[in-house]
Amino acid sequence: MTLVSVVRDYIDRMLQDISGMKVLILDPLTVSIVSVVYSQSDLLKKEVFLVETVDNMSKESMSHLKAVYFLRPSSDNIQKLRRQLAAPRFAEYHLFFSNILKIPQIQVLADSDEQEVVKQVQEFYADFCAIDPYHFTLNINANHVYMLPTVADPHSSQIFCDRTVDGIAAVFLALKKRPVIRYQRTSDIAKRIAQETAKLMYEQESGLFDFRRTENSPLLLVIDRRDDPVTPLLNQWTYQAMVHELIGIEDNKVDLRNIGKVPKDQQEVVLSSVQDDFFKANMYENFGDLGMNIKRMVDDFQQIAKSNQHIQTIEDMAKFVNNYPEYRRMHGNVSKHVTLVTEMSRIVDERKLMLVSQTEQDLACNSGQAAALEVVSNLLNNESVSDIDRLRLILLYALRYEKDSPVHLMQLCNKLSRTAKYKPGLVQFLLKQAGVDKRTGDLYGNRDLLNIARNMARGLKGAENVYTQHQPLLLQTMESIMKGRLRDVDYPLVGNHFQQGRPQEVVIFIVGGTTYEEARTVALHNAANPGTRFFLGGSVVLNSKRFLKDLEEVQRISKSTSV
Amino acid sequence: MATRNRTPLYRKYRDALRSVRVPTVSSSYANGGPSSSVEMAAASLLKNPSYVPLSTEDPTNSSAHTVIGLPPAWVDLSEEITVNIQNAKRKMVELSKVHERALMPSFGDGKEEHHAIEELTLEITNLLKRSEKRLMKLASNVPSEDSSVRKNVQRSLASDLQNLSMEFRKRQNNYLKRLRQLKEGQDGAPDFGIDLNATRTASHEDGEDEFEDVGFNDHQMSQLKKSEEFTREREKEISQVVESVNELAQIMKDLSILVIDQGTIVDRIDYNIQNVASTVEEGYKQLQKAERTQKKGGMVMCATVLVIMCFVMLVLLVLKEIIF
Repeated sequence: MTLVSVVRDYIDRMLQDISGMKVLILDPLTVSIVSVVYSQSDLLKKEVFLVETVDNMSKESMSHLKAVYFLRPSSDNIQKLRRQLAAPRFAEYHLFFSNILKIPQIQVLADSDEQEVVKQVQEFYADFCAIDPYHFTLNINANHVYMLPTVADPHSSQIFCDRTVDGIAAVFLALKKRPVIRYQRTSDIAKRIAQETAKLMYEQESGLFDFRRTENSPLLLVIDRRDDPVTPLLNQWTYQAMVHELIGIEDNKVDLRNIGKVPKDQQEVVLSSVQDDFFKANMYENFGDLGMNIKRMVDDFQQIAKSNQHIQTIEDMAKFVNNYPEYRRMHGNVSKHVTLVTEMSRIVDERKLMLVSQTEQDLACNSGQAAALEVVSNLLNNESVSDIDRLRLILLYALRYEKDSPVHLMQLCNKLSRTAKYKPGLVQFLLKQAGVDKRTGDLYGNRDLLNIARNMARGLKGAENVYTQHQPLLLQTMESIMKGRLRDVDYPLVGNHFQQGRPQEVVIFIVGGTTYEEARTVALHNAANPGTRFFLGGSVVLNSKRFLKDLEEVQRISKSTSV
Repeated sequence: MATRNRTPLYRKYRDALRSVRVPTVSSSYANGGPSSSVEMAAASLLKNPSYVPLSTEDPTNSSAHTVIGLPPAWVDLSEEITVNIQNAKRKMVELSKVHERALMPSFGDGKEEHHAIEELTLEITNLLKRSEKRLMKLASNVPSEDSSVRKNVQRSLASDLQNLSMEFRKRQNNYLKRLRQLKEGQDGAPDFGIDLNATRTASHEDGEDEFEDVGFNDHQMSQLKKSEEFTREREKEISQVVESVNELAQIMKDLSILVIDQGTIVDRIDYNIQNVASTVEEGYKQLQKAERTQKKGGMVMCATVLVIMCFVMLVLLVLKEIIF
């Protein structure tokens, strides 16, 4: 039972008991939720012949269709639904909501349903975007709010917290579990979210969450992005993470229209591990291995294409026509991956990423301040390094060596102030948000004696691949959870919860966003340790661009409020 | 996965609110009720000529009346296609049974089986061709919401039809292959027979040569004639089957344009929603543009020019009269 299969089951159940031609009506958020797990052809098989959004409705009456609504229970949607129920266009209305309805909302709907067209009202808790089997996101637009203190914008903070709590609750309702909740002590927003979730699950709707208790209670861990600011800043070299970092993946779709010259049918492509076998096998492979596998796939395909050209007998022709749909699909798939890898190679060459990334990885993993300073200075002086890469190098240097030599850091910042994109004070701002004083976890492995020893051993062994040597902090956290050694002092339990045994199902929610590198770590860890299952979720999926955008936004707000 | 059914609670509220609402509604009902429903029906008739809405109302019943609409005409078309597909499926099952019987070795010449196969094959091919033609008619050019529904119905039926055609052709190919094998086997038998005869002639060489030669020749001739007949029949059958294979190949080519490529961007719900929105907008813009060009159009210009010319001629005529 993975996140993707659970959401698919919800949608299957919505559609299966309703016979006849149907129309599916979604709101902008549930469109994402449904699109990542269900395809148009799946809908056609279930006799859903039209899909609309709830705001974009015309007046055309289609009384031979039955309407299936799948919406988030927001007040906005309820108002729109009210108007549509008062003037019904379809024969029957089946309403499904992705989260808990409040009693007044049900009353409002009942009041407007004068024609009694509503046949059922159900809560189906698919309120999260299941992009991979063990990775979900909530696609929150105003993500930067998590870095603001509550007093700065209480309304936005409340909206952010509510959406997060709703999403997490939906995940647990879908999995039918009620967890023990722990949070990162140093993060106020993590504490707030943890406490509100606990209130919802144990007090407000305790009947709904009252599932069969298992020996080992499941765990929800709410942590803050700022505890590991290094992972989103690094450049990535494994397929899925790399595509997101260099081009950008949204709801498993990649938009190549502005990137370069791509053939017309490859301008927008889908990268889904559930639908694409090649992607599923290669999404966590590093760039070198990926290249080899793609070459092999292209060679196989060329074999088939060649044999298709030798059509001599009627039998050959019949065989060709038989296999044509399969051939066409394979052709599309090969094109897609080749286009992506070509674009990424081009970007790597343009931005000299191999050089830059080596330094980044060194800054993240190895120590040696003097050497690091020299390399970073050289790269900053190198004209072909782009602005955003220079910014990232300095941020990484600052995060690692903020206490070692502030003078040098100042010098580097001055060099950076020449570039146009840099907003002055960003480095200091990042340190204020996520500096060593604010972090709980041992990001560089230099606090704990055990970690230092481990690091030295790893350094001596040498990295297999210098570009993928970085392991996100999340891995350490997961290993501590597995061994039952997550420190209570750093990650306290909410209220009077008690962890029974070692958890076998863990949901880790990173407030501020996850990265595909962390999702990869989770997936590989799950594959290697079948006893415990980890699910990872966040408010968005970050890449370095998005992380920096959030940071700059918060900096702008704090400047404007303080002035 | 947990779910919660709120329908009972909802119904409770709806009933409660209905009983609160009724006194205000029933008074206007007697006057406004029937006429408003007639208005609604007339209005929708004017807008959508392809719809035939019936309204049932019950002035005595205090519950609200519902307008039940009959589905539009194209729904009949799609149902017909569905029925055709079902029939074709059934006939295909029959056909495979007959195939099996025909391929079994039998003493008779199996004429009825071949006949049945021919008939069934023809029927199925006709059904599929008819369905495909109807399917093409299902599309409409007016960019409205209804057209999206039609297009989607078309796509779904197209993929069903394509799968069916592929299945049918696979089975035909199997039958063809096995038929060929059988034909070679049977050709072998008369050849074998001739060989036997040849060796026998070799052994009886003296005396009765000529007589025996003539006798064997006759025997051989009849054997040859029989095997020729067999071959000809088989050839005819095979060429028929091949023809139907080619026809179906054509259908498949047409259908593959309609069928969605799974796993690509076109198969994504959010992409299709965006597209529908933009094509409807586009269509609307085109309509506006067409209206504008029509207004400015050449016809109006021509007409005005002609009228002016007429006036000018009239004036000239009058002037001519006056001067002369």
